[in-house]
Amino acid sequence: MTAPRLIQNFRGCRGVLWGGGDAEALGRALARLGLSLVRTDPAAPAEAGGARLDPDRDVVFLDADQALDPALLLPAGSTLPDAPVIGLVGVEAPSRLRLLAEAGATAMLRKPVQGALVYSALFLGVNTYRRLRSAETRLAAGDRKRRGRRLLIKAVVALVQARGLGDDAAYAELRRESMRRRLDLEAFCEALFAPGSPFPAAWPLDRPSDRSFDPVPHPRGDDPNAQDADAGRRDRGPDRADAAVDGAGRRPDQARRA
Amino acid sequence: MPEVARFVVGLRLPVGILISSDGPYSVVSRSMLCGALLGIEEARAEHPGVVLVPTVRNPAGELPRYVAEASAMLAAGIRHVVGCYTSSSRKEIIPLFEKADALLWYPSHYEGFESSGNVVYTGAVANQHLLPLVAYLLGRFGQGASCDTYCVGSNYIWAWENNRILREAMGPAGGRVLAERYFPVGCTEFGPVIEAVLAARPSFVFNTLIGESSYAFLRDLRAACVARGIDQPGLVPVASCTLSEPELDAVGPEAVDGHITSSVYFASLGGPENARFVAAYRARFPEGPAVCADAEATYLAVRLLARAVAGAGTTEINAVKRAAASGSIRAPQGEVRLDPETMHAALTPRIARSDASGRFVVLREAAGPVPADPYLIRNSSRFGAVDLRPVLRVA
Repeated sequence: MTAPRLIQNFRGCRGVLWGGGDAEALGRALARLGLSLVRTDPAAPAEAGGARLDPDRDVVFLDADQALDPALLLPAGSTLPDAPVIGLVGVEAPSRLRLLAEAGATAMLRKPVQGALVYSALFLGVNTYRRLRSAETRLAAGDRKRRGRRLLIKAVVALVQARGLGDDAAYAELRRESMRRRLDLEAFCEALFAPGSPFPAAWPLDRPSDRSFDPVPHPRGDDPNAQDADAGRRDRGPDRADAAVDGAGRRPDQARRA
Repeated sequence: MPEVARFVVGLRLPVGILISSDGPYSVVSRSMLCGALLGIEEARAEHPGVVLVPTVRNPAGELPRYVAEASAMLAAGIRHVVGCYTSSSRKEIIPLFEKADALLWYPSHYEGFESSGNVVYTGAVANQHLLPLVAYLLGRFGQGASCDTYCVGSNYIWAWENNRILREAMGPAGGRVLAERYFPVGCTEFGPVIEAVLAARPSFVFNTLIGESSYAFLRDLRAACVARGIDQPGLVPVASCTLSEPELDAVGPEAVDGHITSSVYFASLGGPENARFVAAYRARFPEGPAVCADAEATYLAVRLLARAVAGAGTTEINAVKRAAASGSIRAPQGEVRLDPETMHAALTPRIARSDASGRFVVLREAAGPVPADPYLIRNSSRFGAVDLRPVLRVA
């Protein structure tokens, strides 16, 4: 899997300032680079809470000198914030820097903010965040595959026993059928053992349009992996107009925002 | 009503002139110094209430001397300095200006991606020199067949950044960068790379060599082509955003013609303002060096500074910046206006080709001034180029 492309032009992005005193210099520097700047009151975090931050367009500027719970920036179960975080460093003390580290900051600026180095902080902060996010997605995919191993083995064994195939041939057929349906192999095998499934008695199927092996979609709350898959999906951004295979097993009517 | 003699109490404007008369790029920087001196004389005549007190220093192209001379100027209380040619020298002294809260008026064209609050930029940036050049060359060479380029440059930021921008601008239009070769500043040995260029036969060569390197390369490329019976300007034309009139003298008559330059100023531009300026320059400096874009930009910086101080009634830098960015000035190249947000100038792009008499013939001219886009936020895609790197070699 290739690393995400580097963003070098931040026009149209939005800076979100958490805390911090004078926003004028930062606002001017961002305006020169094509970004707007809004302030958020850390005491009312719902404004910039997870639901409202767009990882493709927002950049959080986090003033390290304030009393703030960095967890406010992190979605449940993740160490990566909802959008790139750039720290504003005044006092260089471990307690302040720890706040930035826990909030997942990937770049920093010195306070008081001046024009110099704002572009560099954006460049490194945003692109490092995207690489981390891409890595998290890969890890989540790996976890999913690991969890699905058991059912994959079951499916191979079932085909070997029911059809008399060798295990390599059984695996190849399962892979082929999952690809025909544009499904993740592990998700396909999970569906093979869903209640009411005719597998392995009815095998193989000639018509990939037969949807009886489609997995039942997970409600979002059940499967934390669904959120990570979305995170990977959001990574693509509006500039990638690709009709990618939806490896997480979603039907067209369930397509997520690219 | 009889004239009443009165004391005009002038506003004293000490101004530093920090331009190299010696060193690796003195061919161009001496022309800039002449532009500055002419600018001072004309500013004195135009703004009698402003008493310009110049301090002229020659850092001879050496970075430590830029730092020493700039420090001395600032310590002496000078708050406005016109100077620097290379980005290296400018970046070296900007922190001094930020600390002293003084203003550097930087006249040279450069690669962009800067906007210090303590600098006024009167030279062209990439969307005013390189991007118009790419558009012109793609139009000229790119019909049907692929437009290929071979990049030859001096190993520092000017070449690195311009080659990147070129690569990203050419790619979507079906152009290709065949190779990028970098050479130490001052290098004059180009035999092997010239062989490589002639073997590759690109549509054009993009030249980001500076100073002596550039002149040697142009001479040697021409000689190699003549030896093979190749029409170099026709078959392997060299394009740059830098080659200017005084440098044509340095290249020499054997290889002076057929080179393409993208710039906002050429001595051969029309218009009454340029005619007046060139005549005044040549009268003042009959021995040369020839007037060029960086000289016009330096002249402009001095005129803008004097006008801004006269308008603001003070030398305090924020008031001067505000005054400088209000209104426009009729420059030899046309109307010039400073953007108060970036303190860069809106300038008029042109493409020209050198001829055998050492003049530039204008091939294309923009309809009017183009605002500077130093961070290319309006002139580049969101994403950098995909990593299909050409052959990158440092000689």
